[in-house]
Amino acid sequence: MMRLKLIYPKWNKLERQTPFNLPPHGPVAFAASLPSHVEVSFTDENVETIDFDEPCDIVAVSMMLSTQAKRGWYIADEYRRRDKRVIFGGIATMLHARETLEHADSVFLGESEGRMEEVIKDAENGRLKKIYNYMIQPPSVELIGPARRDLYKKELYNHKGVQMVDLFHASRGCRFSCYPCAVAYLGGRRFRPRPIDKVVEELATIDNNRLFIVDNSLAQNKEWEKELFRAMIPFKKKWISHTIEDDPEILDLAAQAGGWYVYQAIYDTSDYIRERIRRYHDHGFGVEGTILLGLDNQTEDDIKRLIDFLHDIDLDLAEFTILTPFPHTKAYDDMLREGRIFDFDWDNYNAGRVVYQPRNISAERLQELYEYAWTSFYGSESQELMMFRLLYSVVLREMKEGTYRPRNRELIKKSFGRDISRKVLG
Amino acid sequence: MHAGKHYYDEIFHYNGEWDMPSCCGLRIIVGDKRTTVIVTELYQDNPGSSVASSGRSLAEQICEAKGIDFNAMIYIECNPDMHSKLSFYQETCYEVQFYDDKCPTYRLLNEQETYELFKT
Repeated sequence: MMRLKLIYPKWNKLERQTPFNLPPHGPVAFAASLPSHVEVSFTDENVETIDFDEPCDIVAVSMMLSTQAKRGWYIADEYRRRDKRVIFGGIATMLHARETLEHADSVFLGESEGRMEEVIKDAENGRLKKIYNYMIQPPSVELIGPARRDLYKKELYNHKGVQMVDLFHASRGCRFSCYPCAVAYLGGRRFRPRPIDKVVEELATIDNNRLFIVDNSLAQNKEWEKELFRAMIPFKKKWISHTIEDDPEILDLAAQAGGWYVYQAIYDTSDYIRERIRRYHDHGFGVEGTILLGLDNQTEDDIKRLIDFLHDIDLDLAEFTILTPFPHTKAYDDMLREGRIFDFDWDNYNAGRVVYQPRNISAERLQELYEYAWTSFYGSESQELMMFRLLYSVVLREMKEGTYRPRNRELIKKSFGRDISRKVLG
Repeated sequence: MHAGKHYYDEIFHYNGEWDMPSCCGLRIIVGDKRTTVIVTELYQDNPGSSVASSGRSLAEQICEAKGIDFNAMIYIECNPDMHSKLSFYQETCYEVQFYDDKCPTYRLLNEQETYELFKT
């Protein structure tokens, strides 16, 4: 038996976002690829404290975000001071691999399915390699099994008795090459949908009536997308996802399959965007607009016009982010060549901080406009209240379909494992 | 969308970061004193590391494969016009200077210089 301590480092949430902690998907997908004799103990540092003295044979640090990198390195240093071997993996490890190597006994690059037998065997024999590079050989998607959701301490992903959604993925890779995105580099430039029977097998293991399908875009293969939604209908789960194909038949199937809320990029004030949002609404979807500020084609007036436009199109929620030149994106390449990146502190790569010189306005003004965007959109109603309205709509649908799960009364005074302190106004 | 074929004469395959199989468009213009090497980003047709992130390593791989003197080379990185409605995919070309002891420097070519590179 080998004891593996799996850590998901914490990061500072954006000030403006409602601080919900969702159960992280990467670590439990990784854990599913480990040999059966490995005993895993998981700590998500966003909701609990790490016990650095918990007995273990090896430590695995899983990082998704650039803003986790420095904390992940600190955690590794602490464990290595205690003579524990530390291996890193996850997409932020792939983005920051060279720096991560300085804090690691081993760095795993790529997807872990089918590879962990070798890594664990090397660890057991004291021959852990400095780098396991499988970026060039993604595993067959058939090998992706159900994630190890049994590792979650479920009560820590509960807010006032409401269980958070479970994360789930139906594909890997991306055939698009979007300016600010590194997914095609990380997961390959080929869309790799999971076989539907594997998706169904995993769905059947998830004890949660609400999901978040985390695939970057489901809109990459129409026939597979239709097949996916048809297969999801019998589960009667309600789910959130990123973009769904703009096709009436697919939107209809997605709604039947339980889709109730999507993230949709709003990048201009065109009639196309207006109609796109209307079509989601017509099919019963709530829409959270994801709005990227600071693109090279945006002036201050453009940004203000975009914010006004959001009110016009009746968005249900909006999330504003500042363009961030993550390594291995075209944005990074372009700005590096132009000498426009002035901040390489990965803690600031949280999409809420300006780390580069924008083309048409000053960095300071862009930061102000970002604050203005949040204040303006949520001026008359708070984000939490708008979220509650969306949640209420899904509760009504669940009640109608007989899938509603009441709040857990025992956790009603807890938020992500912590006691809720109530302010008493005197 | 794909990069127009007028940007390159061949597809050059190289090892990107972490040995990822990668490719770019390649045009070589042999001059009297110096050879101009133009590498073009292929975006979604490149399965691995970009031209920009591969930098000096790519330049060295081209020199070795094509028998070019690294020190007598003009090295151009090109973002081709992808005919995208988004302005981030417009044509831009940079002349790159590599150094042994510091990061490379980039000079944005003007329209006339860029035109001269691809007029044939």
